[in-house]
Amino acid sequence: MRHYEIVLLVHPDQSDQVPGMIERYGAMIVKANGVVHRSEDLGRRQLAFSISKIHKAHYMLFNIEAEQAVLDELESAFRFNDAIIRTMVIRRKGVITGNSLLYEEELRDKEKDIERDRLAAKSESARKAKEAAKEAASKEESSDDDGEAAEEVESESSESANEENVNVEESE
Amino acid sequence: MGQDKENTTSGDPEIDYKNLDKLRQYIGETGKILPGRISGASANMQRRITTEIKRARYLALLPYTDQHR
Repeated sequence: MRHYEIVLLVHPDQSDQVPGMIERYGAMIVKANGVVHRSEDLGRRQLAFSISKIHKAHYMLFNIEAEQAVLDELESAFRFNDAIIRTMVIRRKGVITGNSLLYEEELRDKEKDIERDRLAAKSESARKAKEAAKEAASKEESSDDDGEAAEEVESESSESANEENVNVEESE
Repeated sequence: MGQDKENTTSGDPEIDYKNLDKLRQYIGETGKILPGRISGASANMQRRITTEIKRARYLALLPYTDQHR
């Protein structure tokens, strides 16, 4: 049995099929006494150039150990799956496990998304809290209007004082 | 640039079509693969770099050129 690395590009509109495809192809390999050493869902990625007017694709990565017959079967399955827009199968020298660099990137992106969602939720709740506080404050304001009026008068008087100062400076 | 040969031991697992940041060091602004005499890679290394860049290009992970629309 030989070791292979398979990369699949799936049409972004068919992204939701990806987990099912990983399972299905994994089952095909295992059923034929093959081994799946690594299977990764690399998520939707921007393409470096458009392929048949598509700008993004969902990437999948498999590292498997299988017979030639299984590989032929897989390749024909890929060919007849309309959701798959491109495939690459390369031979590898040994078992490859552990997260690939692209998967690490995807995980980082996911983490960032989660973090962003968390922050958004936080700011949302903070905004709500502030609104609630404002409402409460406005209720309070109506009760102590007199104090505010007095403040306003004070600020006006200070302004006029400033003006006087300016006048003095000009005259000098 | 390219004066010193890089210490690139063959069998370096870093050169891989998935390691885009590494491969980007070996392509020019236009997306072309830099020749070995510019990149400073040994002949063995340059061959490996070339195949991996071509794999990455096929999967649309790297551009063939900067003229893509």
